[in-house]
Amino acid sequence: MSDEGLDGEGAGRASRRTVLAMGAIAASTVVTIRPAFAQAAGSVMNCQIPIPAPEAGAQNIAADGSLVAPGTPGSFPPAPRPITGEEAKALLNSGMSPPGMDGQQAQAYANYIRRLQAGTSGFTCYASLQMPR
Amino acid sequence: MAGRVYTADPSQERTAVPLESLVAVYHARSGMTHLLAPPASEILEALGQGPGDADAILARLEAQYEMTGSGFREAISARLEELEASGLVQAK
Repeated sequence: MSDEGLDGEGAGRASRRTVLAMGAIAASTVVTIRPAFAQAAGSVMNCQIPIPAPEAGAQNIAADGSLVAPGTPGSFPPAPRPITGEEAKALLNSGMSPPGMDGQQAQAYANYIRRLQAGTSGFTCYASLQMPR
Repeated sequence: MAGRVYTADPSQERTAVPLESLVAVYHARSGMTHLLAPPASEILEALGQGPGDADAILARLEAQYEMTGSGFREAISARLEELEASGLVQAK
């Protein structure tokens, strides 16, 4: 839209002024199209999953990912450090073990991550890994 | 009458993409994206000159645009409240 008649009017004034329709007071002009998950997606690679969650105490991880008493045959000790979001993604999607962890141990940890439930440490990190990017 | 004074985050905190007559604004601090229709995007831009109340914003817009419609001040106040609800601006 142009505003004929204003061009050249008054020195020091913008020679072309855009028309801005103010609209009705009740007309909504701001729509939020993406909730806060966008931020979770941005930080997913930096989040961490402790295995097991600190609230679980000193338990071992069975091959199927369940928590078992220390010393249970076939189980693995807690992960020496939390697994990062990036490592968890590689582990879950392509079976790549995080550095310093062997294949079977890493697979037990992968199963533990898959069983994480809301409210457990690391769940938010795992949930955000599932989001389409 | 002095109205509520509003401030906006620095423009570096936002990424704006024009979509025909709308503007999509990604707000880095909140991780949220908003679609703004005129005059909300122009009001947000006007706040880039510094904090201001509805009267100050009206003066800034009048300096830049040929405004049409009526009840400018009330319309600007309503848009500022919307922008505040979205988190893009804060009231002091």
